[in-house]
Amino acid sequence: MAIAVEAARPRGKALVRHRTRRALLLWCFLAPSLAIFLLYRIIPVVWNLVLSFQYWSPLAEAEPAGLDHYEDLLTDDVFWQALWNTLIVIASAPIGIAIALVLALLVNADIRGRDVYRTIIFLSYPLMTVAVAIIWRWMFDERVGLINYVARSLDLIDKPIPFLNSFTWALPSVIVANIWQILGFYMIILLTGLQNIPHELHEAAAIDGAGALHRFWRITLPLLKPSLFLAFVIGMLNSITSFDLVYVMTGGGPGRATEILVTYIYKLAFVQTKFDAAAAVTMVFFVLLLGTAWLANRLAGGNVGAAETE
Amino acid sequence: MQRYPRWPIHLALMLAGFVMLVPFYWVLKTSVSGENIYAYPPSIVPRGAHLFYYVDVWYSIPFARYFLNSVAVSAIAVAGNVVFNAMAGYALSHGFRGKDVVLLLFLSCMMVPFQATIIPAYLITGRLGLLDSWLGLALPQCSTIICIFVFKASFDAVPRSLIDAARIDGLSEWRIIWHIMMPLSKAAIATNVILAFIWSWNNFLWPLIMTRSADMQTLPLGLARFLSYQEDTTGALYAFCIMVLAPGLLLFLLAQKEFIRGLTSGATKG
Repeated sequence: MAIAVEAARPRGKALVRHRTRRALLLWCFLAPSLAIFLLYRIIPVVWNLVLSFQYWSPLAEAEPAGLDHYEDLLTDDVFWQALWNTLIVIASAPIGIAIALVLALLVNADIRGRDVYRTIIFLSYPLMTVAVAIIWRWMFDERVGLINYVARSLDLIDKPIPFLNSFTWALPSVIVANIWQILGFYMIILLTGLQNIPHELHEAAAIDGAGALHRFWRITLPLLKPSLFLAFVIGMLNSITSFDLVYVMTGGGPGRATEILVTYIYKLAFVQTKFDAAAAVTMVFFVLLLGTAWLANRLAGGNVGAAETE
Repeated sequence: MQRYPRWPIHLALMLAGFVMLVPFYWVLKTSVSGENIYAYPPSIVPRGAHLFYYVDVWYSIPFARYFLNSVAVSAIAVAGNVVFNAMAGYALSHGFRGKDVVLLLFLSCMMVPFQATIIPAYLITGRLGLLDSWLGLALPQCSTIICIFVFKASFDAVPRSLIDAARIDGLSEWRIIWHIMMPLSKAAIATNVILAFIWSWNNFLWPLIMTRSADMQTLPLGLARFLSYQEDTTGALYAFCIMVLAPGLLLFLLAQKEFIRGLTSGATKG
């Protein structure tokens, strides 16, 4: 077999030509994907950077703007509010991950029907976020929302809380919906991590007399570290980009209480047609994203890789 | 293994399952409710259940048009993903000059979320003359890096001798992909199809930015538009919600394994 393959391969000059042709062909195979990434990832990043240093609108010629747009941001209250809200949403990711860790430990136990539990908990993740947002609007409804109804029935509150119209409650409400949707995904990641921990470690520790809690702290948690940080990176990406949920649940309101950077970029660019100013906000957004991912990666002490959330 | 009581685990998981499912139930209940949806206290089981709201959706919005747009855009995205990703995955499973650069490029593209590119993406699509068209809606999603790596991993597992044998038989590289690699990579194809479909079906921000005419709106846009016209005043909104969720949910339940495999392979390999 090997000899036949050798014989079939062209030699000398022909081999070189053959190799070049093969390489050319492989590049052709890559071309469509590369073109799409070039058009919708690479060029946009560069263009966005350039745009953020220009005065430009669809009807006007571009003029250099230096750092003007960035300086404007310093005094832009809405920008700071959106940045702060975005940070809060990112900071909420560990709450979801902690809940997901408990769930992952539970569905990892050797119990009947665990696949059904896994499916149910994961179910909300692949759903259309716009629909999820409408579902949660209804759950948080002031008059007949389930949450207000239960709280009132249990006498926890006297008056119904207008969750999504309240400056205090709107952002936490959006965060709850966000965690509800992504919880199952965290759980799957952590479950994969748990299943990669060798059984022998636990058994050996148990023989040595280590209790369950002790084993959790000393074996499970340290070995789960990469999965936990991966979950955090994904959660961060997810929460920083959760446009759909905010747009449909609150539209950024009341006031600017739930405005996040992505919704602000959208409004600046496509409602107020200030593309250049929006490009500057996008740069801040992008740097924030890379910075957090880099930090998480460093803390994880390894190459966690990236994830795509679309 | 030592024995431990199972019922607390079941209890905790049932509670979690309840929290995950109850929002669906609440919306489903509202969508078939026969009474005023704002009656207080809200009923736990629907009273006088009927399907009036579902019929109402059909007549009050161009549901069929939205549905057609969503299906067409998703179909283009799925076809693009399967074909382009398979080609790219095949190229990456070979050694060639410049491969390192391509890999580096792909990995760095993964760190660019679509939300960070919306302004130039809109301008570029405008220059291409694709605003407000099915192709323009689908194009940014026609190839995904995670899915390329899913194909690459699957192709890497095909024995080299098989490919060499095919070459000796005079098969072109193109036919090797479609006649040898693809039939051996059914799981990778399934993962590609389901991920591409769900991403495209659920996509909201991009259609929101680039569709102009009412004729080009997809289901998520239609849903958001419906909400902004009607506010929360009618049960039809919730019927619409259920109608939009159903296809994605069904597909997920059918192909759960492929879906999760795709997500975790992308997540763990990077």
